[in-house]
Amino acid sequence: MKMIRAIIRPERAEVVASSLAAAGFPALTRMDVYGRGKQKGISFDAIKYEELPKSMLMIVVEDENVSKVTSIIQVSALTGYYGDGKILITPVDTAYTIRTGEEGL
Amino acid sequence: MKEIVAVLRMNKVQHTRDALAEKGHYAMTVKNVLGRGKQKGLQYELEGDSGPQFTESPRIHYIPKRLLMLLVTDDHVEEVVETIIKANQTGNIGDGKIFICPVEDAIRVRTKETGDRAIL
Repeated sequence: MKMIRAIIRPERAEVVASSLAAAGFPALTRMDVYGRGKQKGISFDAIKYEELPKSMLMIVVEDENVSKVTSIIQVSALTGYYGDGKILITPVDTAYTIRTGEEGL
Repeated sequence: MKEIVAVLRMNKVQHTRDALAEKGHYAMTVKNVLGRGKQKGLQYELEGDSGPQFTESPRIHYIPKRLLMLLVTDDHVEEVVETIIKANQTGNIGDGKIFICPVEDAIRVRTKETGDRAIL
């Protein structure tokens, strides 16, 4: 099992969520975050924006679906400009459903 | 060392916090998040001519939730998971999920302690 965390443009979050749902991955957690990449934010002449608003989507999927989900995120979050975001994949040992107390997604 | 990430109902956080404190786990991070499970959010039930119907379009896509994150040593994982499940189980859809993720190392900023000592 893997946790996929995608830091994407807030305006693309809904596009990503709906295309994931269409592919059969409706479950996700969304949070609003502030961050910057290696460009150190944006600056317009003297005005600097050190941290830019982003949306972080957190999705936990089985190992075999990781490449499917990441490619969907890549396609639907893409604008081609700096600031499209990053996708991070981390391992998850176990998942529990609280309602039933059972293991598994 | 493991990180326990739990998505919980908004009104259950205080109860969970008390239950964990009873077992000696005080350190945690709680964050407001939006989320949905495999039910794809909340659906309205509409009364039609042919009985109640679930509609596709008027639905709440994201439900406000609380994300609880805490680090525990390997031997406490079972205990914490059981406590969270016991405190949050209502039996209805939307009780949440618990994820257990491995963590390689942790550092306490104040003392530069690493490993298990940083989180105890």
